[in-house]
Formats: sequence, C-alpha cells, structure tokens
Amino acid sequence: MDLFVSVITFTCITLIGVMGVFVVTGLTGLFSFGQASFMAVGAYVSGVLGAKYNLPFPVAIAAALLFGLAAGLIVGLPTIKLRRDYISLVTFGFGEAIIAILNNSASLTGGATGLSGIPQLTSLWLVLLSAAACIFIVANFKYSKFGRQCLALRSDELAARSMGINVNRIKLTAFLLAAVMTSYAGVLYGYYTTYVEPGMFNWTVSAEWIIIVFFGGINSLTGAIISALALASLPEVLRFASEWRIVIYCVIVLLIINFRPTGIFGEYELFARQGSSKSGKGA
Amino acid sequence: MSIQQLINGISLGSVYALIAVGFALIFNILKFSNFSHGGVMVVTAYTGYLSAIGLKNFISSTPLFVITVAVAALAGGLVALIVERVAFRRLRINKSPVIYYFVSSITMGMLLENLVTVFASSNFYSYPFTLGSQVVHLGRFTVATSDLFMLTFSAISLLLLIWVLYKTRMGVAIRALSFDVNTSSLMGMDVNFVIMATFVASGILGGISGVFLGINYTLYPQLGKMITKGFIASVIGGLGNITGAVIGAILLGVTEVFFIGLVGSGITPVFLFFIMLAFLLIRPQGIAGKIVQEKA
Repeated sequence: MDLFVSVITFTCITLIGVMGVFVVTGLTGLFSFGQASFMAVGAYVSGVLGAKYNLPFPVAIAAALLFGLAAGLIVGLPTIKLRRDYISLVTFGFGEAIIAILNNSASLTGGATGLSGIPQLTSLWLVLLSAAACIFIVANFKYSKFGRQCLALRSDELAARSMGINVNRIKLTAFLLAAVMTSYAGVLYGYYTTYVEPGMFNWTVSAEWIIIVFFGGINSLTGAIISALALASLPEVLRFASEWRIVIYCVIVLLIINFRPTGIFGEYELFARQGSSKSGKGA
Repeated sequence: MSIQQLINGISLGSVYALIAVGFALIFNILKFSNFSHGGVMVVTAYTGYLSAIGLKNFISSTPLFVITVAVAALAGGLVALIVERVAFRRLRINKSPVIYYFVSSITMGMLLENLVTVFASSNFYSYPFTLGSQVVHLGRFTVATSDLFMLTFSAISLLLLIWVLYKTRMGVAIRALSFDVNTSSLMGMDVNFVIMATFVASGILGGISGVFLGINYTLYPQLGKMITKGFIASVIGGLGNITGAVIGAILLGVTEVFFIGLVGSGITPVFLFFIMLAFLLIRPQGIAGKIVQEKA
C-alpha cells in the first residue's frame, strides 16, 4: 500500500511538472532546460522555511511560488524578446547556476549533502487535488485567448505578430505560469520526501519532461497527461530495468519524431470543446 | 589579475572555443541549437580513454596523448555522422518545424550520455597521462604541460578549420549552405554531403574538446553538461558566428579563472550566468554584432 501511495504521489508530481512543460513547449514552442531548477527553487525555499524556521505550510507554499515567479522573471525578461534558441541556452545555464548556489550555501541549504528535516505534509489527497487543479488550469489556458495566441505564435511568430498578438507578453506569461506551477511541484516533492538534494534537479529531469510531452504529442493535452502517467509510473514499478529506462525512452522518442512527428495522440483530446476542433484548423 | 591567471584562462578558453565552434558550425547550417553535441563529447572522451588504456603499456606519455586526441577526433567525426543520419536526416527531408530538431537533438544527447552510463557505469576515470604534474617555464611564468598542449592543439585545430572554411571548395560549400540552403541546392550542390561534412567537422572538434574536458575534470558520464560553457561563449560571442564564438570562449575562460581566484570555483557558475544575462540585456547580438532573428 505504501508503495502504491508513493507511486501515485511521484507520478502526480511529475504530472504537474509535465503540465508546466506542456504550456512552455507544447503550446508556445519554447524549450526550457531549467524547468527542474524551478522545481528546486520551490522545494528548497519551502523546505528551508519549513525545516529551519518552522513556518506553516501555506506560508511556505506562498513564498515558494513567489520565488518561482521571481526566478522566472530573472530568466524570462532578458531572453524572451530574442530568438527562441536563447531561452533554451539561458535556462540551461540557469540550471547550472541554481545547483551551484544550492551547493555553496551549505549553512542554509545543507549543500551537496542535501536538506533534511522537512515535515511530511504532502498527503495523497493534496497531491491528487493539486494535479487535478493544474490540469484544469492548463486545459482552460489552452482554450483561452492566451492559449490560442500561444499556438499561433508557435507555428509562425511573424504572422502572429502581424495579427496584433503581443508575442513577447504571451511568451512571458506562458513561461511564468510554467515556472510557478513547477515550483509548486517542487513544494509537494520536498514536503513528501522530507529530504532534497541539488543532484535531483539537473537538466536531464527537464529533458525527460520534454520527452514525455513529445511522447504524447505536442498538440494534445490528453496525450501529455496519459504519457506522463504511463512514463512516470512505469519506472517505479519496473525498478530492475532502471539503467536502460532512459535509453529505451530516447529510442522510442527518436522513432516517434522520425516516423510520427505528431506524437502518439496527435491532436486528439478526450474532452474536446465544442467547436474548437472544427475551428482549430481555420483559425 | 596576474599574467599567470591570464595564461591559464586563455588555455581554458581555448577548450571552450572548440566546444563553441563545434556548436556554431551546426547552428549556422541547420539554424537550431544542437544539444547532442554534449553527448558526442562524452562518447569521444570515453573512446579516447579506452584507446589510451589499451596503448599505455606500449607508448610513452606524450605520443600517447597525441594518439588519444587523434582517436577521439576520429570517433567524434564518426559519432556525429551517425547522429546526423539517425536524428536529423529524416527531419530535413520532411521539412519538419524547428522544434522537432530541438527535441531530436536533446533526445540524442540524452541517449548518448545514458549509453555511456550503462556501459561504463557512473564511476570517475582519469586518463593515464602524467601531464598534469609537469610544468614548462616560460621566462618568469610556469605553465602546466597539459594546459600548453590544450592551447596548442586547440589553436591548430581552429586554424585548420578556418583554413578549410575559407580556402577549400568544401569550405565555400559549407558557407554557401549556411547562407541559403535552397539556392545552394539549385546551383547543383549535394546538400546532404555538405551537411554530413559539417557534422564531421563539428564532431572532430567535439572529440578533441571531449578529451580535454576529461583531462581537466576527470571522466564521468555527465561530462556533456560542460557544453553549457560552449553555450555561454556562443551567447557572448553572437549565436552562430565562428569568430565571435572563439572570442567569447577566450573571454569566458579568462573571466572564469579570474572569478575562481576571487570567489572560489563552486559559486563561479552563478557569476558566469549573470554575466551572460547582462550581456543579453545590453548587447543581445553578442560581440560579433550580427543579430540572428527567427526566420519567418
């Protein structure tokens, strides 16, 4: 039963991270290799406040989200106006910088040995509710004005700009939404495992989330959710093949990209909104 | 900042220059950031290690170093060819949007890194050279032999690359292709072949830099993340500009050594990151000065 609960908890936390990546990469076409670093920001800010200063859980969450937002602004503001490549290069550097900060502020964060003693307050219900709330937010985002503008600028930035879409603002909005959401995933993570260390948040985690999104298909939220559920829970069950797990994922993703670029689910949505699928092509 | 630090910084920067130029070559032609370059560096660093271990009983230290670099360079060219064939050829033929190139290169990078982890485990290895402890005296200054070797090798390979790019037919073809793919192919150029040649060149540089990184930081499967240094150098120098990449890399190396002396090596990446951000705010086009915009 314990194993079952922990599998569900970790899967839901990954799902929240993947939702963030879906907004940034799936909808907006930006690549963030620092997504896991936002998770580190959330986990560490809330963890330090909870473990060292004994602040209540909601205060820790609020602080973590604010820090996530601030980190998102620091990375986003200088880069969002530039070519898309810059945001992936800069977030890559951001990940390294965050890990360096965590490793070198040992008195506060425990350094490379990690931060322990975070109270375990993440319950199964909280995680399930949070995941559902995040899916709800992202689904509504996708079908809102913002989401459609994101899709427009993903496929052609110049055309979107000439239609009067404020490209930079939309990109920044999507990026910040993802940053805050991922920080929240970090809070849940820290308050579930009670222990965090810098090595858990390197760029391969971010890359894995991107792979999960592409596995399901970048146009399909349903696909992203299902592939997150499948790919995040399988390794917990199939511990024995852990060495080969990433290798196998990579091979599958290469096959998908080469032979079925829309991903497994294509544009399929479980609960397609009325009219949206029809007007989608024309709009 | 002393002259001694400057020398160390330039030699470190020359290794970053190899990474940044290998990255810029592909960026120029296919217009995307090639994240698989880090994976190529890891694989070649290990290939070089294997050959060095195999030959260390027969050859003395200095020729062994040269052979290791040569083997790694060849392996880099080969791996880059495979990467091009597996990850990018079909995308190019299908004229896929640029985000697929991104994902393909990330996946390829992770695949290479994890294959190394599976076969070599995540232990640390170090090359069987004894270069690190030896020093050369140049007037008042002492330079570690390994630094001197790195500087010489990087300079030679970069000069060779520039010679190829500007004095050979293949170089003209590569530059034409980075200017405009469609026109070049209408002029009767074999686009596939030229792209393969570019990948080989980038892989060779990646292979050499892989060995140097392995010497500097010991060998481990996550060595590929050192490609960040190449990214930062490209951003400072101007994305996709080869001269800019070299200048940016040397500057980065010198700055890094300076900061390591000032605040210690642990926190230095944070300063480098903020320098990069400052650069993006003040001069986003980089040192080279030509801004690269998204193609419509």
